[in-house]
Amino acid sequence: MVQASQCAPEGGARTPVGTVTVVDPHPLNWLYITWNTMEEPVRTDERGNIVGAAMEDSHWEDATLVVKVREGVRFQDGELLTAHSIKRAFDEVQKWKAPHPPGTYLNFHPDTRAHCPDDYTIRFDFPEPDGLALAKFRGFHIPSTRFWEEEGFGYRKLGTGEGHW
Amino acid sequence: MVLEANTDHWNRERGPRLERVVYRNDIPHAEALDKVCNTEGEIDLVSEVSPEEAQKVEDSRYAHLVSIDALRVVSGLINRNAGFMDDVRVRKALNLAVDRDRMINEVFKGYAHPVAAMAPPYSGGAPEGVEPYPHDPAEAGRLLSEAGWPEGRALRLATTSDVEAVARRMAGDFRDSLGIEVEIVEIPDEDLIPAQKALVEKNLPLPFDVLAHAWFDLAAGYPPAVIHREYFHSAGAFRAGPPLEEFEELMGRSVVETDGQKLGELGKQIDRLVHDEALNVFLCCPMALVAVNNEVKFTGHAATLELAETEVGEGHWSRRNND
Repeated sequence: MVQASQCAPEGGARTPVGTVTVVDPHPLNWLYITWNTMEEPVRTDERGNIVGAAMEDSHWEDATLVVKVREGVRFQDGELLTAHSIKRAFDEVQKWKAPHPPGTYLNFHPDTRAHCPDDYTIRFDFPEPDGLALAKFRGFHIPSTRFWEEEGFGYRKLGTGEGHW
Repeated sequence: MVLEANTDHWNRERGPRLERVVYRNDIPHAEALDKVCNTEGEIDLVSEVSPEEAQKVEDSRYAHLVSIDALRVVSGLINRNAGFMDDVRVRKALNLAVDRDRMINEVFKGYAHPVAAMAPPYSGGAPEGVEPYPHDPAEAGRLLSEAGWPEGRALRLATTSDVEAVARRMAGDFRDSLGIEVEIVEIPDEDLIPAQKALVEKNLPLPFDVLAHAWFDLAAGYPPAVIHREYFHSAGAFRAGPPLEEFEELMGRSVVETDGQKLGELGKQIDRLVHDEALNVFLCCPMALVAVNNEVKFTGHAATLELAETEVGEGHWSRRNND
């Protein structure tokens, strides 16, 4: 048996090779596939700690969370990920009362507003500081414009994003 | 479903290291496990291997077992609205009645960690110096008697099929340690959704004293966001009992705390409170077990089935077939 933490650490650029075939019967397999394919401001490392992904850095200014967006991130279709991509995703998720299947604890306060002072900075103005904002970023999926225009989270098929984010 | 590598991904050091990932979630679990253990070229990775199946993977010449500390927790959810269950002496008696080591060895075949409250011990959210309740039948019996548990009153222990073995082991300990009768209430799979609705919607009275229950976290560092909140907060989906003033106050401070270190300390205070009040029957944190083809280097992640760092060796079927 191998303990997961003993496996290869992150590091070492390489050309992708090979195919693996996976059977994952976990009830959250849909979420794991989402995390394997979409961008989020943060991700979790091997031990589950939250680390930056599309978000390079962040800090609080009173009740405002200021996020520095990583430069040079491209979606699968070639579009550049910017602060505006994150604002678009934020505006989309805020439309719904219960967008996340795991629960409404991932919701941002409905009165939160986002704006982009430049292409790689986004400011989230919360009604009061949100200590769990970075954890909520884990469920905050950032797709390209094409995703929103062609699919959305069930928008085209089901006409709603409730429970499908 | 087929995932193809985004070779333009910004994090080149991390991955992707595979050209392609094929999900075959239409294959039944037992068949998939047979294929990964006994063949190569069909299935490379099967998640959610049960403890009973682990030895089969260990004995395989084609696959190996990867165990992951996966931020999962199994407990007995106590219905504090039921008679006597609002008494902390009864709840402590139930905790002292359980032999966690035996449960981990017999039910989980060793693939689990004992837990003092609800924060997994490796999550960064467990308070220092708080140990799991010991197996102490004498003290458990004394507390139950002191609380006035009536002669002949059976404890109603409910379970779903996924944790039935946990419930049966717990019931054995309650009977042996406390000398009480335990009535096991099995919730059939077809009744699961109505039962979940009854719990979440707080349709009282719930038909159990204790419910064997499994849950998980989506990130380490602050378990109350996803675990303690759901079980004990006034807005928690699984709360079965009145809100606790001290718990509400600590959670209220947490949600506006933007200093990560202070947030972590608040989380530990919450876990200590939950332990001291014995709000659940604290059992263990099962590992996630994954069967992996020997030519696949899989990096397990605590909170997801992540494949970005996974790679295959030169002897893997997909590379041999390309030669």
